[in-house]
Amino acid sequence: MARPVLEVERLCKSFGGVAAVDRVSLALEPGRIYGLIGPNGSGKTTLFNCITGIERRDVGSTRFNGVRIDGLKPYEIARQGIGRTFQLIRVFPELTALENLLVVTRGSLAGAEARALELLRFVKLDGLKHEYAGNLSYGQQKLVEFVRVLMRDPSLILLDEPAAGVNRTLLNDLLEAVRRLRDDGKTVLLVEHDMKVVMGLCETVFVLDHGEKIAEGPPGVIQADERVIEAYFGR
Amino acid sequence: MLGQVVVSGILAGALYAMVALGLALIFGVMRVINIAHGPLLMLGAYTTFFIYQALGLNPYLTVPITMLVLFILGALLQRTLVYRVVDAPELSSLLLTFGISIALVNLAQLAFTSNLRTVEYVTGSYTLGPLAFSKSRLIAFVVAAALAGLVFLFLQRTRLGKAIRATSQSREVAMVCGVDVQRIHRITFGIAAALAGAGGALVSVIVAIQPEMGQIWTFKSFLVIVLGGAGNYPGALLGGVLLGLVEQLASLFLTTQLSEAVAYILLVLILLVRPTGLLGGRQT
Amino acid sequence: MTPRGTFRLGLVVLVAALAVYPAVGTGYGVRAVLQIFMWIALAASWNLISGLTGYVSFGHVAFFGAGAYTGAILITRAGWSWPTAALAGGLAACVVALVIGYPCLRLKGPYFAIAMLGLNEVLRALVSYFEGLTGGGNGISLPTLEATVPVYYAMGLAAAAVTLLTYLVITSRFGLRLMTIREDEVAAEAMGIDTARHKLYAFLLSAAGPGIVGALAARDQGYIEPISVFPLATTITMIVMVLFGGKGTVWGPVLGAVVLFVSQELVWARFPYLHQLLFGSIIVAVVLLMPRGVLGVLQQRYHLPRTI
Repeated sequence: MARPVLEVERLCKSFGGVAAVDRVSLALEPGRIYGLIGPNGSGKTTLFNCITGIERRDVGSTRFNGVRIDGLKPYEIARQGIGRTFQLIRVFPELTALENLLVVTRGSLAGAEARALELLRFVKLDGLKHEYAGNLSYGQQKLVEFVRVLMRDPSLILLDEPAAGVNRTLLNDLLEAVRRLRDDGKTVLLVEHDMKVVMGLCETVFVLDHGEKIAEGPPGVIQADERVIEAYFGR
Repeated sequence: MLGQVVVSGILAGALYAMVALGLALIFGVMRVINIAHGPLLMLGAYTTFFIYQALGLNPYLTVPITMLVLFILGALLQRTLVYRVVDAPELSSLLLTFGISIALVNLAQLAFTSNLRTVEYVTGSYTLGPLAFSKSRLIAFVVAAALAGLVFLFLQRTRLGKAIRATSQSREVAMVCGVDVQRIHRITFGIAAALAGAGGALVSVIVAIQPEMGQIWTFKSFLVIVLGGAGNYPGALLGGVLLGLVEQLASLFLTTQLSEAVAYILLVLILLVRPTGLLGGRQT
Repeated sequence: MTPRGTFRLGLVVLVAALAVYPAVGTGYGVRAVLQIFMWIALAASWNLISGLTGYVSFGHVAFFGAGAYTGAILITRAGWSWPTAALAGGLAACVVALVIGYPCLRLKGPYFAIAMLGLNEVLRALVSYFEGLTGGGNGISLPTLEATVPVYYAMGLAAAAVTLLTYLVITSRFGLRLMTIREDEVAAEAMGIDTARHKLYAFLLSAAGPGIVGALAARDQGYIEPISVFPLATTITMIVMVLFGGKGTVWGPVLGAVVLFVSQELVWARFPYLHQLLFGSIIVAVVLLMPRGVLGVLQQRYHLPRTI
């Protein structure tokens, strides 16, 4: 069995005395799609933030390909090969779609431009490459943010609610893209509220409630888990 | 020696704390950094001066009037200008209040000229053993501490005060609970301006009044906020006293100008180590 | 001819005209244009840090003062020629920027602004303290030298250099990265951009211009004292010029410098407080009504490239 791409061990993060993430441990194998679900406020985005260095965890460790990444700055973690999207889209509005992709690259500009155009073509946005990202529609911005993450060819991709506010056709394109990433050997962890997406896409699902991991397993098993049902619907 | 330093520090500290409390309120409730805070204090000083000059009233009795005048001015400023940058990026609110501060200072220059004004009312000091308490500073301390205490009571006990605290914590939740957020913003700015104005009134008896006098108060109020934690109201009190003490200590060894440099370096150092202030406040 | 061609031709003509102007202009005219050059260099420099990254530098005049004092001291105490002293002034300003910027740029936006507010006062205090070197409150008198025309050209060069630098930065990936700091610093970091380093570079670049023109201004005036080279008014003017003309653009600071300087000379120099009041009001008006400045608005309306 390959060594895990990501190992989170007993991660804790509190804000003002309230535990947002409470002793969460998980391990991600390479080349698989994972889901992270849980009711609102269960700590999913905080967990993402701790992994990517935007928040400093209180206790616990995070290892990426065996190397500890706690305490690294967000940009250092990104350069290690972890990419993420955000719950509320964070494209750079005053930069064009193309510039949004170029700005995250280093090294040969020509190479970067070629890759950027290829990715834009992949999501059918190459016609809008010179449009300011702020002027694009919600769905288009979502796609730009998605391919922007791919520009640096990360091996671990964290997607925060990729399906939110996206229409069906676009969604299918996105999901297809995620499957292709998996087939290329990348690891994907996505936070999602849309259960159909999670069930259809993810091989393993983690469930958080009030910061704690209460379940882990294939989607079918999770769906029937009592604790999960309780967390979402109460007793 | 040390005892005197502590005494002077605490006397000054309460005044810093009260003025900074206003700044903290504006930041906590509206996420606006009010660079015009110092000029508001300056206007308070002038208000007291002119009332004193016209009516010969005990300047300390003018404090409520000055506070009222500044409250109205503050609410007006918020209603006409500041409200538009409440949700804007920080750059906008910084620049806006910067522009307002310049406008206020120069309006004062035009209206009042840069001639130094003074309110000669209380001079001399009380002595208690080896310690000397400057009378004017002592009174300023008492009034400032009382006003700060009143504000805290107001925030804790009254409905309006609780509404302000609620808005400060979460605007959305406050709105859902039926709080008229716009009104709260106006009132908060007014209160903050009133506190600055009170500071000006108290200070008018201690130092010379001129249009530029507020600038250093803006900076020191920021320092207090940083020391105590942004958005942390009780922290502002502690921060004020800390600043007073540090300043007095520094002035033992350094010239005044250099001790201001010390205050500045202190500010930067603290921000580097704890960007949310010494007592920990809110992230911007 | 294409619009770009016309523009380029116009630019060449303008440069040529400015180059021969000292031969035909009045003394007053030459000094006026000299000052416009200075303001262009100052405004464009402020634009490099504050316009591009969104980190508002309220103490930028500190670099001007640092350059002025460095230049003056080197000229009077060490007998340096003023052109080299000017370059040294730029270097000194960069050193100050490094010392201040390294810690301060780690602070988030508003805290950085607060820290910069105090920078000016601190430098002024330091100047007073090291009286032996800086002459304290008495200032420094430079040996008399009729150098208006050479300084004119030097200032012109500085203005052109900073404008060119702005163009190069804005059209590069480095410039784009600076802009992402303004747009969304957290997202930029999450994308692998070392924002701290980029901010520092921009800050250093933005300090060089004021440092150099500070030293040149010292040479030109022949005398400096703390108040003359560390006035808040200079920072205010820099900011207004850039806000008015269009922050984040190449020619915005130039437009702002020219328009506001001319209005200042024509109308307001006689009423200093009124003029500052007006400047303060312009800042308020621009922030509320026209945050992108003149060129910014045109850029949006007519889809002009970012390099205008």
